[in-house]
Amino acid sequence: MKSAQTLASMPPPPKDDVERTWAYLQTGLEKIMTDLRGGMDLKVYMALYTAIHNFCTAQKAVFSNMVSGQSGSRGGAHLLGEELYKHLIAYLTKHLKEVQRRSREHTDEALLTFYIKEWNRYTTAAQYNNHLFRYLNRHWVKREIDEGKKHIYDIYTLHLVRWKEDMFLGTQEAVMRAVLKLVEKQRNGETIEQSHIKSVVDSFVSLGLDESDSTKPTLDVYKEYFERPFLEATEKYYENESKQFIAENSVVEYMRKAETRLEEEKDRVSLYLLSEIMSPLMRACEKALITNHVEMLRDEFQTLLDEDKQQDLARMYKLLARIPEGLDPLRQRFEAHVRKAGLNAVDKVAQNGENIDPKVYVEALLEVHTQYQKLVNFAFNGESEFVRSLDNACREFVNRNSVCKSGSSKSPELLAKYADTLLKKSPAKMVEEDDMEKLLTELMTVFKYIEDKDVFQKFYSRMLAKRLVGTTSASDDAETSMIAKLKETCGFEYTNKLQRMFQDMQISKDLNANYKEWRDTVLGEDSKSGIDATFHILGTGFWPLTPPQTAFTPPQVISDTYERFTRFYNNKHQGRKLTWLWHLCKGEVKMTCCRVVNAKISPILQVSTYQMAILLLFNESDTLSYDDLVQGTGLIADILNPSISVLLKSKVLLAEPEGAKAEPGATFKVNTGFKTKKMKTNLNIGIKSEQKQEVEDTHKTIEEDRKLLVQSAIVRIMKSRKKMKHQQLVSETIQQIKNRFQPRVPDIKKCIDILLEKEYLERLEGDELGYLA
Amino acid sequence: MASTDQQPKSQQKLILTTSDDHDIEVDRDVAERSILIKNLLDDFGPDAEIDKIPIPNVNEAVMKKVIEWCTHHRGDPPASQDDDTDNRKKSTDIDEWDQKFMQVDQEMLFEIILAANYLDIKALLDVGCKTVANMIKGKSPEEIRKTFNIQNDFTPEEEDQIRRENEWAEDR
Repeated sequence: MKSAQTLASMPPPPKDDVERTWAYLQTGLEKIMTDLRGGMDLKVYMALYTAIHNFCTAQKAVFSNMVSGQSGSRGGAHLLGEELYKHLIAYLTKHLKEVQRRSREHTDEALLTFYIKEWNRYTTAAQYNNHLFRYLNRHWVKREIDEGKKHIYDIYTLHLVRWKEDMFLGTQEAVMRAVLKLVEKQRNGETIEQSHIKSVVDSFVSLGLDESDSTKPTLDVYKEYFERPFLEATEKYYENESKQFIAENSVVEYMRKAETRLEEEKDRVSLYLLSEIMSPLMRACEKALITNHVEMLRDEFQTLLDEDKQQDLARMYKLLARIPEGLDPLRQRFEAHVRKAGLNAVDKVAQNGENIDPKVYVEALLEVHTQYQKLVNFAFNGESEFVRSLDNACREFVNRNSVCKSGSSKSPELLAKYADTLLKKSPAKMVEEDDMEKLLTELMTVFKYIEDKDVFQKFYSRMLAKRLVGTTSASDDAETSMIAKLKETCGFEYTNKLQRMFQDMQISKDLNANYKEWRDTVLGEDSKSGIDATFHILGTGFWPLTPPQTAFTPPQVISDTYERFTRFYNNKHQGRKLTWLWHLCKGEVKMTCCRVVNAKISPILQVSTYQMAILLLFNESDTLSYDDLVQGTGLIADILNPSISVLLKSKVLLAEPEGAKAEPGATFKVNTGFKTKKMKTNLNIGIKSEQKQEVEDTHKTIEEDRKLLVQSAIVRIMKSRKKMKHQQLVSETIQQIKNRFQPRVPDIKKCIDILLEKEYLERLEGDELGYLA
Repeated sequence: MASTDQQPKSQQKLILTTSDDHDIEVDRDVAERSILIKNLLDDFGPDAEIDKIPIPNVNEAVMKKVIEWCTHHRGDPPASQDDDTDNRKKSTDIDEWDQKFMQVDQEMLFEIILAANYLDIKALLDVGCKTVANMIKGKSPEEIRKTFNIQNDFTPEEEDQIRRENEWAEDR
């Protein structure tokens, strides 16, 4: 109060006397700087402002001064103020040197307290002074800055600049040391006064001034004097800590520690640091905590995989995901691990010998996939790169394993067979619709990894044909769903034939209804004669079926029936040729000569058409020789003999002499004493050797079909490109084909040669090929 | 303190003491058109007891004119720090009320300008200067001298040279 009172009682200085004006001002400044809490007097405030105003306007030509102040740099009007500005600088420098001197009396927390207290006092005073010197700011300072003078600032900024030069630069190291000590204490678990650090950060940030435009703050000062040492100290701290911790603890425990530390540092930012520090701070911690120990962490990965430690794997993933390329080696190891697991699982299945149950095989593949897919989702965040590693591994062990030694076509074959067991009607199991859908989806999981999708297609279509013709499908819905799934994965072309087969069956249903109607109206009573028959009309191009291998003379009743149908069909569709696939036909005959045990009805035999033809011959005579049967049916021995054998084995027919086989010289008669407890007896048993033959045939046709597929792909490409380099053509062909199977380059070259020969293509200059329309 | 809380800030009364020792009561928001007074109030803070504010450079007559202007413009948006918009530069653009307000004798006009400069009321300073500019506009040097009662201290040679140098600016 004393100085203010003296100031208030002091007469205002003469306005054109610099020294006396400054002396007057300095008394006021001293009060503001050192004793603002003591209270400021309104009169003094106004007196100081007025003194500065009066000094700055003290020139005789007050009027011209002011106007030129408005009009900018034109004109030579001289603005007063420079002397005051210089005096102020000198005053601040002196003042701050004293502050700096006193700061040396303190260290550590006491220094922080001192620094912050002084900083707050000084900046509050600076705010005051900025207002008191506003007239100087508005005119002299503005003009200087407008004219591009360097190192002239408004009064508040000037205070900051002086603080930085005269106080901060000599003090900041000690201040930072104190800050870092405090932070280290906190890292060691002690409680600290966090607001101290926050205040220091704020102060450092305020000191960042853009040289070219002082109104724009920059983080330069903060970055250099706070962030850099802070990061260095952080990195060092964690380098030491992690080294020590690892020496005494397991890797798993270390990962937990690192995770906690990273979390703590992240929280520290919001507590008292600038949010800008987040990413460099994290990088520093990551370097000390993760990058420095990356090898050790990775080495633990295999152990964790082997022991299926999902939580720890997830932790490792999260840690290594933080550093660039941290995960790449993990992905490779993961891929190798999954592949090995898959191969081991297949090996176990393969131990059971040649005949591998498709169900067991597919389930083994699925189990491995499911296990590791869960792991990827749980521990590796479902990350696409890990998904890819999983896919690569699965593709490997699905296509190249101990079961597929002979070639990769074994997997698709087994998978197709598995599909057949799922979709076939079976008395043993009734699959619920939802379960079926789930099973099919799983099947598709394996299917996606199959490289030779064409092999699958072949087997699948054959088995589908059998299911349809034999009406052994468990459910139309399931069949449709399966086809839809294949279509979704492989496209329309892949399932086209399957779909047509399915359609044919639907059309045949309507056709049969139409036929019955036609028969009843056109033939009337006559229609009752003959047998009750159902016909399937199957498009030749879509069905993987071959015409019968044998000649056949159908019995009269059958030929009556089919001729009638042929008449109807030709009437409806002219010019279509019907080929009868006798080997796929079947029927039921009633054995009227005997009764089911304990029942009054005759047993019914379910037989193939060939067997039916044999049995019907016995309607004419009780005993027939082998030759009679050959004559009567027209069948070749390869078909006839096994057909008779089944009848003999089931004791429907008896051979003479007893125990004779189906061979020339034997005679046969109907066993009138045939005994059965079942109403229906199925004698239409597929012949083993036939099945094996079929598999081989299927494999054989695959090679042929592949050639055609490759050729058509080549032609398609050349048709659109007209001209192409050989090498390019090969690689593009692989691109087109590879979702069906993995073509080999020599095979493609062979196909190109074939097309050259057929003159679809021509050789041009420089290894180029041209398309010939 | 309790009274300031109950009373809206703008209706708080301040007393300004002019250079000739007259007290003028004025609403706080009117007074705050002057950046000088606004800063002062900010610096002293909301808790301070504000007694009479001495305005040593402005007399009662001028202060009353200034307050009249501030009262009329009390609702204007506060001028930003560096308001160099086109609007400000066009000297002819003076609000009708302001034009009437500025119809005072020359001495008063200059007093108002000086007071606006001292009190840091930018908008009023602008209006004042624009008014002076309009008085100059379209006049010959001789007429200008007459208007502002200025003695010609150029020699005829000097005057000739200045005219030639500024020929490009002549209105034709």
